[in-house]
Amino acid sequence: MSNLEVWDGTISQKDFYVAARTLVERWKQVNPSLPQWTWIPSKSTLMGSSCKEEGYLSLENMFHIDRNEECLIVDSFSEREETDDVATLVHSTSNETHIYDFHIVYSFSYKVPVLYFHGYQSDGQPLSMDEIENDLPPSSSKILRESKWTYMTLGEHPYVRRPWYTLHPCATSDWMKLLLGGTSMKDLDISSYLLSWLSVVGQAIGLRIPLELQQSSNSSSSRRGATKSPTGTEAVEARSGQ
Amino acid sequence: MAAESPTSERKGEKRKAEVVVHLRATGDAPILKQAKFKIAGSDKFLKVIEFLRRQLHRDTLFVYVNSAFSPSPDELVIDLYNNFGFDGKLVVNYACSMAWG
Repeated sequence: MSNLEVWDGTISQKDFYVAARTLVERWKQVNPSLPQWTWIPSKSTLMGSSCKEEGYLSLENMFHIDRNEECLIVDSFSEREETDDVATLVHSTSNETHIYDFHIVYSFSYKVPVLYFHGYQSDGQPLSMDEIENDLPPSSSKILRESKWTYMTLGEHPYVRRPWYTLHPCATSDWMKLLLGGTSMKDLDISSYLLSWLSVVGQAIGLRIPLELQQSSNSSSSRRGATKSPTGTEAVEARSGQ
Repeated sequence: MAAESPTSERKGEKRKAEVVVHLRATGDAPILKQAKFKIAGSDKFLKVIEFLRRQLHRDTLFVYVNSAFSPSPDELVIDLYNNFGFDGKLVVNYACSMAWG
């Protein structure tokens, strides 16, 4: 019914699935050697009937190395140090490494994607809110202090059924509407919704989103091979060994 | 894979020392008197955000480019220009309402 109306910033569950596939593919193109976003189909029939479009996105094993650095990702330990002694590996992991899992779940009430995440130490022990707060970018810790209950809280993960931290979705459609610029429904490329969404959410949680991920719709063929980005890219030393 | 032909974008890509940033108000944001300014390409995008914060006296701003994404403050201005610049400038949109809850 709203084909000619200005888009309200929300997304349908079906389009969420479409956008999720785009994110999975683009991420793979841009970060082939890093952990991948994967679509986890819902096993339980949350809304009565199960279909392939029901599920969520998952990105797991993100290593948070240090405060003020973004999440770096290590694919697997064996690839990093192939010949060197094991002692170095043990040393690097015992040094307060925080590991994060991120899930993007569709919210039926707000009709937008919602980020759920949880963090744990390398021994599997979950991180406390204080520890997580320390890992956040400074701007986010500030918002967290100012608006404790409307930003990031613990809530039940609708699929995992356990308490995960979540970013509140009530304003998501507002900023998505701004971000994608008052486009009417027919001009809107809904498949890039999650790429745009992630550029905002990634900043909130300190998940580095490569610039290349955003180039999809405009210049799909141009990969910046020659322009080596001085920011970040060389920090990720994970290699694709397979 | 590696054998890519230079696209038009690649040809136009210059290592400019300075980048012209065009600040465009959206949503409820006030328009700035001076909407265009030059910034060193080696500066981080954070500098643009901080400039806007000072001008608008707002802590939380929503800053985005290309009507598509919100760059990380760590991104270099030159990288943004090279990838999303158009007509010799980088258009940066800003809005005041950036709420979460």
